[in-house]
Amino acid sequence: MLRFIASRTLMAIPTLLIVAVSVFVLIRLIPGDPATLMLGDLATPASLAELRERLGLDRSLFAQFGIWFGHLLVGDLGQSISTQQPVLPLIVQRFWVSAQIVLVAVVCASLVAVPAGIIAAWKQDSALDLALVAIATLLLSIPTFWLGLLLLLFFGLKLDWLPVVGYVAIAENPWRGTLYLVMPILTLFLHEIGVLMRMARASTLEVLRLDYITHARAKGLSELQVLTHHTFKNAFGPTWTLIGLVLGNLLGGIAVVETVFTIPGLGRLLVDAIFARDYPVIQGCMLFVAFVYVLVNLLVDLCYPIFDPRVTAQ
Amino acid sequence: MTSTLTKSILLSGAFVCLISAPSYAQTLTVALTADIRGTNPGVNRDDDTDTVTLHMVEGLVAYREGGTVAPMLAQKIDKSADNLTYTFELRSGLTFHNGAPVTADDVVWSWQRYMDPKTDWRCRADFDGRNGLKVESVEALSPTTVRIRINEPSALFLFSLARTDCGSVAVIHKDSLNADGSWKAPVGTGPFKFGEWRRGQYVLLTRFDGYKSLPGGLDGYAGGKRPLVQEVKFLVVPDPSSVKAGLVTGQIDVAEVLGSDVEQLKNERRVTLQTATTAGRNALLFQTKDPVFSKPEMRKALAAAIDLDQLVSTVSAVEAKPNASTIHASSTYYSAAQKLTHKYDPALAKKLLAEAGYKGERLKITTNNRKSSPSFNIAVVLQAMFQNVGINTDIDVVEWATHMDRFLKGNYQMMVHSYSARLDPALSFEHFTGPKAEQPRKVWDDPTAIDLLTQASRIENDVERQKIFDELHKRMIEGTPLLMLFNRVEAWATSARVSGFVPWESRARAWEVSVKP
Repeated sequence: MLRFIASRTLMAIPTLLIVAVSVFVLIRLIPGDPATLMLGDLATPASLAELRERLGLDRSLFAQFGIWFGHLLVGDLGQSISTQQPVLPLIVQRFWVSAQIVLVAVVCASLVAVPAGIIAAWKQDSALDLALVAIATLLLSIPTFWLGLLLLLFFGLKLDWLPVVGYVAIAENPWRGTLYLVMPILTLFLHEIGVLMRMARASTLEVLRLDYITHARAKGLSELQVLTHHTFKNAFGPTWTLIGLVLGNLLGGIAVVETVFTIPGLGRLLVDAIFARDYPVIQGCMLFVAFVYVLVNLLVDLCYPIFDPRVTAQ
Repeated sequence: MTSTLTKSILLSGAFVCLISAPSYAQTLTVALTADIRGTNPGVNRDDDTDTVTLHMVEGLVAYREGGTVAPMLAQKIDKSADNLTYTFELRSGLTFHNGAPVTADDVVWSWQRYMDPKTDWRCRADFDGRNGLKVESVEALSPTTVRIRINEPSALFLFSLARTDCGSVAVIHKDSLNADGSWKAPVGTGPFKFGEWRRGQYVLLTRFDGYKSLPGGLDGYAGGKRPLVQEVKFLVVPDPSSVKAGLVTGQIDVAEVLGSDVEQLKNERRVTLQTATTAGRNALLFQTKDPVFSKPEMRKALAAAIDLDQLVSTVSAVEAKPNASTIHASSTYYSAAQKLTHKYDPALAKKLLAEAGYKGERLKITTNNRKSSPSFNIAVVLQAMFQNVGINTDIDVVEWATHMDRFLKGNYQMMVHSYSARLDPALSFEHFTGPKAEQPRKVWDDPTAIDLLTQASRIENDVERQKIFDELHKRMIEGTPLLMLFNRVEAWATSARVSGFVPWESRARAWEVSVKP
């Protein structure tokens, strides 16, 4: 097991290196730089040159990368050009805001979608199956920003139950903090239900058609036993993989949801940084997102044997 | 028994009301589209940053509505006969937020700090001689008197001191810095004090009870500035839909809204709408170095193809008016001569196109997709108007940073651009007039115009300046290096509990504003 973890961790290093180099180069290929935006339409060549020199943007790309990479090796992601804050604490602070929304939404969505998918597959072609598939397709088809706005309109404006703008940390005020998180969590929860339910249904259907299920039924096992003991364990693998991918993807940024609900999360930090050409923050965010993605998928792989004993770390 | 029970219920009710009363009863919540960049005046700033910072700090002078400059911390300004020495007498009884009195030494110290390269003040080049004007000395003559000497007569010196992007050259207390000289938080003289900055969320300012307001009402960044609310919360709300929702539910008190949202918000009884024309200008720029647009006939042909009235009424949801001048209509310099404009004449356009040798080649209009700017819509309408006279154009839509990069490099054929507000006409013309070889962002590279502008920056006589600006406008229309289209009209919405808010130049001003509990 330890060798598996070590080898997977080592495999992550080239991935992160490729991400670091490609983000560093690609962001600099886009026209415009922080100095251009900071000085606006009154910039003179002299003032631009002065600011670029101060920001270190006048150096060659190799020199800039060398400096950044040197700091990276000692765990320093640099300082934000826009806000002058150290990047790593900024990212960690914003990440926790996003993570609490994503984790709750994905866990809740999994708890609802997986049983619903299994039931839909079990009752294939019934009215219940059709209804569940229709709901899943509908939820999957609605863009998250629009779903968020609908919730905002209903719970915020019509019912006036939930705050529509602002954010309060749960640690600061648990009740008010929770109120601010309800709608973003609900938005992601509804969207991810559609994604996970379809996968759970498809993989269950595949398993239900296998001979050993027929054999189990022929032995006289109840449908509940067939579903829980024989179907679920074998059918959950692909859904579990998808949960890992979804989690990794969402933890990397839910910028749209964060923008609609004014949540100061990682996604909004990244989008704002891209528009401001805040290179250190963009590079730091992308590297962090890649790291989280690799970590989540490693954890997912390590959990596989729990659901399917045939799969081992070896 | 019943009476006791009733009293208990009433008392409990009162207690519940007390503890559940919204904490924002005396808080004015103002929406910002993006977080501020910092609190250090004139350093690492943008418009939202200036808006917040200038609630906490003030300079010797400040902009008035109409674009003139008035004393702010100064009570009186005397100028020497040679126009090189300015003597500022400070208002008596002024104090900083920490209670310390404002003295001439603070003015000198603040100035020296700005001019220190370590401060990274964005306007240093405008005062150290690199751009002509140089402040040669700043001295404290007495505890309340400051003398500033400059190298050459300048009509723009006081305007430059008042510039909001320079942080109004704010006078701040030494407590604004940490012991190591780094920036901590502004300890200024403005009507509100720094409270808290939650990055990405909000900036909270609290009322400065010791603020000594000038008499009179709102007048730009000058005039009366009484802080009437206990707190001002500048809340970061990037999404326009969330801004609307916040206004309707009363969670936002003041916000600038998109023109496209105005019609919808007009029907909302809990929201009050106001519109105001600003000095920001929407313009069509021609790259006169481009082979096609180096021909004046070509530029004039495009000018004749534009029905400005129709363009403005189509793209602006609020009551914008065409303005072919770079001087805004509420300026004291907006004379009859500034009303000179190109005439919409499709037949003339076709004739000029033939003279220019245009043979239907595709031309490119660069514009951007910023939500707050009508640039994209302007480009779409222009494309249709040009097509009407046989000019083929493509629209190249880029995001803001790319747009600015191309603008500063002059990397475009035609560009729909929104110039930021410049209240003095000389600064306004300076935006686009100058040698392209030195500054590629300049659009109008006409030696006579450059010479006239230099004169306007030095001469202080209003009548003479007016003549120059009128001449400049006439030459601009004749040469057609760019087409001014209309001034930006801003739309602001306030919640029902707000009174006293008046929009001005895209800046939220929280002073002289009160909220109902």
